[in-house]
Amino acid sequence: MVAPRVRVSIRSLSKTFGQGPREVPAVSDVSFEVHEREFVAIVGPSGCGKSTILNMVGGLVTPSAGEIVVDGQTVHGAPPPTVGYVFQKDTVFPWRTVEDNVALGLEYRKVPAAQRAARVREAIALAGLQGFEEAFPATLSGGMRQRVALMRTLVVDPQILLMDEPFGALDTHTKLNLHAELLSLWHAKQQTVIFVTHDLSEAITLADRIVVMTRRPGRIKLLYDVKLPRPRDVIRIRESDEYLREYGEVWHALGEEFRPA
Amino acid sequence: MRRDRLTILVWQLLILVTALVAWQYLTGIKAISRTPGLYWIDPFFISRPSAIAERFVYLMSPRVRLTVWQMALSTVQSTVWGFLVGISTGFVAGLVLGRGDRLARVFEPYIVAFNSLPRIALVPLITMIFGFGLLAKIVLAWSIVFFIVFFNTFQGTRSVDADLVHSARFLGASERQIMTSVIVPSALAWTFASLTPSISFALIGVVVGEFIGGESGGGLGYLIIQSLGTLNAADMMVALFVLGAIGIVMALGIRQVEARLLRWRPEYQKR
Repeated sequence: MVAPRVRVSIRSLSKTFGQGPREVPAVSDVSFEVHEREFVAIVGPSGCGKSTILNMVGGLVTPSAGEIVVDGQTVHGAPPPTVGYVFQKDTVFPWRTVEDNVALGLEYRKVPAAQRAARVREAIALAGLQGFEEAFPATLSGGMRQRVALMRTLVVDPQILLMDEPFGALDTHTKLNLHAELLSLWHAKQQTVIFVTHDLSEAITLADRIVVMTRRPGRIKLLYDVKLPRPRDVIRIRESDEYLREYGEVWHALGEEFRPA
Repeated sequence: MRRDRLTILVWQLLILVTALVAWQYLTGIKAISRTPGLYWIDPFFISRPSAIAERFVYLMSPRVRLTVWQMALSTVQSTVWGFLVGISTGFVAGLVLGRGDRLARVFEPYIVAFNSLPRIALVPLITMIFGFGLLAKIVLAWSIVFFIVFFNTFQGTRSVDADLVHSARFLGASERQIMTSVIVPSALAWTFASLTPSISFALIGVVVGEFIGGESGGGLGYLIIQSLGTLNAADMMVALFVLGAIGIVMALGIRQVEARLLRWRPEYQKR
């Protein structure tokens, strides 16, 4: 078997915010690689710089040292064209209806109207948002809004998907539903995913590999391969011994970081 | 819902009728003797609804050189023009300076200085430059509306959510597309908040212009200042009522446009 292509390569990445005596090191010497079709989760205590790493991969934040290479190109400044990003915060445009939000990326790329309508309809059906096409976000629940945000990103077919705690603000039930949906969408398209979360069960449910970070300044504590078979049933999986064993292993490493210094 | 609106309308009419009746009645009570002119509340100063109605009918008739409609039309025209030019220039200036950090810093002291000038102090100068006609009134209304809209749009442009801009960029938006699809719609909500006060300020500018403008400028402000010369409270009241009506109609118009353009906002959503 040929080793899959490396799509995202993070090389001795460091980031320091502020200057002089107010200098706060956020990320310190982080290196890892993400391969084609791999689903990688980054977990760690809050403030460990996991979102900062994602923002650097997306070109939103400039690294202080080290570099990020996406598909052979060093990232600086602008987001790489093949990358999609789902924010933790609600970034659905409130002045656009659900379908106009989903169509946004296609409009930007000047996809012809007929083709655009078809792709939007398909995406809305996939997300189970039929009947809400003409609703404005103000009338939707948080879970539905995040679904719109997800479909808006996926409809332009990004090959690399960056997700920054996209389900962080949702209740457990909605979250599990969205995990199932995300996994089935991912099985269909097999994007390369980097998913940031502080929720370990979320990371184990979704990912192939988990990057466990230390407390600030964030360094890599552990790279853990999740061996749970796919396709995964997001509810049943939690009752399996395998899941509990893996959860325990990572929890032990992560727990050391949550302990007060 | 409908019943509710009806009740409110009935109450509003009731208040109006009560006020008019009380006004009419109270200004009719004579004090001490039966000597004419000695009233508890003297209609010489505040007139009476019946006298106002009489003057209103007279001022509409072709017997006067300038009917109240012609004057109202002149006032409305200058207000609408000043308003429209003020909004569009204020909006564009707010967008440009809101996006251009350096430009905003360069212009800041001038804007603050000009805005803190009492606009009424400019009336003589504007009249000197633009004459006694329509143009001077429009310029005056513009000079007030411009700044209100400008400051609001500027703030709106500054407070655009950076993550919305980022997500647009990730979806492949060019700088221009970011402007039209993110910045302008977010700023519009702020701009609209400034439109209702702008209408009243535009009216202030126009009426003050008409105080000075004389007959060639016409307008309701001219009617008011003329009535001062003849100590005619009834005519002033006619002008004030018409101005009030103009204000209401314009404010309602703006609310209609706003409800259409900002229909995405939670307050316009039927749940």
